[in-house]
Amino acid sequence: MGLADRNRPRQILGAIAGGVVGMAAMSIAFALLEVETRYEVGIFAGIARFVMLPGNLLFGFLVFVAFGAVVWPLLFVLFEDRIPGGPDPARRGLVFATLLWVLFALTGSGEVTGATLLIYGSLTLVGHLAYGFILGAVYGRIRPDFSVSEVRESREVP
Amino acid sequence: MWGYLLGLAGVVLALVAAGLAVRRASSSRPMADGGFLTGRGTSYGKAFGVARWLTTLDHKDIGLLYIVFGVVAGLWGGIDAMMIRTELVTPPADVWDVETYNELFTTHGITMLFLFVTPVFTGIANYFVPLLVGADDMAFPRINAIAFWLLPPSLLFIRAGLVTEVLAKVLQAGGLVVEALFALEPPAIGWTMYTPMSIEVGNPQVDVFLLGLHLSGVATTMGAINLVVTVFTERAEDVEWADLDIFSWAIVTMSGLILFAFPILGSTLVMLLLDRNFGTTFFLSPGGGPLLYQHLFWFFGHPEVYIIVLPAFGLISLILPKFVGRRLFGFTFVVYSTLAIGVLSFGVWAHHMFTTGIDPRIRASFMAVSVAIAVPSAVKVFNWLATLWYGRIRLTAPVIFLLGGISIFIVGGVTGVFLASIPVDLLVHGTYYVVGHFHLILMGIIPFTMFAASYYWFPLLTGRMYNRRLARVQAVVTIVGGFVAFLPMMVLGMEGLPRRYAQYPPGFTFLNQVSTLGAYLIGAGVVVWLYNVAQSLRVGPRVEDADVWDLKETDQFSREWQWFERRLEERRGELEGDD
Repeated sequence: MGLADRNRPRQILGAIAGGVVGMAAMSIAFALLEVETRYEVGIFAGIARFVMLPGNLLFGFLVFVAFGAVVWPLLFVLFEDRIPGGPDPARRGLVFATLLWVLFALTGSGEVTGATLLIYGSLTLVGHLAYGFILGAVYGRIRPDFSVSEVRESREVP
Repeated sequence: MWGYLLGLAGVVLALVAAGLAVRRASSSRPMADGGFLTGRGTSYGKAFGVARWLTTLDHKDIGLLYIVFGVVAGLWGGIDAMMIRTELVTPPADVWDVETYNELFTTHGITMLFLFVTPVFTGIANYFVPLLVGADDMAFPRINAIAFWLLPPSLLFIRAGLVTEVLAKVLQAGGLVVEALFALEPPAIGWTMYTPMSIEVGNPQVDVFLLGLHLSGVATTMGAINLVVTVFTERAEDVEWADLDIFSWAIVTMSGLILFAFPILGSTLVMLLLDRNFGTTFFLSPGGGPLLYQHLFWFFGHPEVYIIVLPAFGLISLILPKFVGRRLFGFTFVVYSTLAIGVLSFGVWAHHMFTTGIDPRIRASFMAVSVAIAVPSAVKVFNWLATLWYGRIRLTAPVIFLLGGISIFIVGGVTGVFLASIPVDLLVHGTYYVVGHFHLILMGIIPFTMFAASYYWFPLLTGRMYNRRLARVQAVVTIVGGFVAFLPMMVLGMEGLPRRYAQYPPGFTFLNQVSTLGAYLIGAGVVVWLYNVAQSLRVGPRVEDADVWDLKETDQFSREWQWFERRLEERRGELEGDD
């Protein structure tokens, strides 16, 4: 599938729509986690570190949203065929988001240590998985050449 | 400030545009599977739209709304629990401060009891009781809708401290400081809201919280009245009381308990609000004193335990026989034990107060009733075991969950008998023994039967099949997690570790860490369940034959499945008509 593919614009639109919805879900989850943990986890500081803007929470968060809504979805479309878990884009989204989470955990965890790391790691992982799943699922709905029955046949039917 | 608002408007616009794009894309696309819209909740050709879900009066829709609401609240309360356990990984309060820890166990308890378990069981009852008794709908569909729609504001009130704080922080990030939004802090008074502390705490959120709790009580009572009237008056002509299924019996008893227990909670909450704001002294020493509060609270609170556990018993009694290929052993005895628990549950409240110094003669009588209530509970367990005996057990995910639930309930129940005895209670009251005991019962049996029901009825609810292998994995992980999380608590309690403390002596570290590991296993199980449900809704194999579980073979193809079969046939007829 090259860039000249006639389905390309629709795919890109689908991926961005998926990215926006996925980001919305993940941001709400992160915001609640942040407040509920009394800012101990410092997830927004982590996000700022993740996008290489430590110390600037608001701008860091905006860059984060931009990446989640546009950059990652575009990368997802570009490398879709090479991501394991297919043909279902939602499962590919899970794999893709797990990779993103590894990056996030490596660069963003900063001074989070000990027991806090446990909840930080697990909740951000779940947030990323939700993001990836939604990204793939919405993308799969909008993508014109994707058929749900194709996915269904590939599943084990007991 | 303006830049911030503009940004917000942009995000809203983008969401609307994305929504419209999804709508257009799906309406114009030919469907490979015969026009069946994927990933959009239930099938059966219902239209998709926000307006439908906001205005629906259909008992099945309202049932689903209840279940979704309960799941959201349960996830929230579950995260509270994970955070509590995270704090307890190390002896000092180094993850969060003591105050945050107190808030966490308060909101965890309230959320789980009032906003997770009660709504989910009401939702299951809403969906299935009318189908099981052959009614067209609930007796009062509009009251049904109102009862549900009181719950979201109630959740918002109960957890307002957190929600307003998020709002305040977001506004602050945009340069707007609203002091009022920071004033509400999550309450830290424990889920029992014991006086005098709950009266003396200044935090205004406590008042909002009490109002929210009152609202949820009103909603629950309305739902209960509706369920009772539905079963009494809307039964099909061929459904006599003797033919009433076991789940509906449990729901009728639960609703009866609600009718007698929740008004007490409502009155108590109003009195507490008056004490806090208008200087009445219902629960202060010149008035009734803190013991009056405890009597009133537990006169509601102990039946509440059975309000939430009776539907779980009902689900076990209903689902277990289907996968064993036998009828429920001693059906009548299971019904009578349900009713007996319902009556006795009002006579055991003072066992929560053995250590308060109340008159020993009162204590002794409450000990007798508390021990006696184990009998009908044990009757149920023996009936389930007898049902399994000589049965052809199919180890599907629902059955694994039910077996796990029964085993964990036995441990929780037996430890409860010890707790009912005054001398033992005096020793372990206020320790982790109590926490372990009631979590083995509440966490063990209630969510396990909910998971079992979600799998058992998944084909009926969604028209699709779930991923069975993943479901079995989830069942095993969750059951193991349950035992690993709560058994160490029994030991911790017997060794004397008090509950509700953010800090503890280093000697208790290992068992606390084991318990935390269990909590994370349960959390992992929940994530797997969520994934299975979401993924099966999208791409699960469609159900063609209504007899998913081969129930016709053993003559157990009950009313709800017969209804499902009719729906499938109608749907098939419509599709053929379209061609």
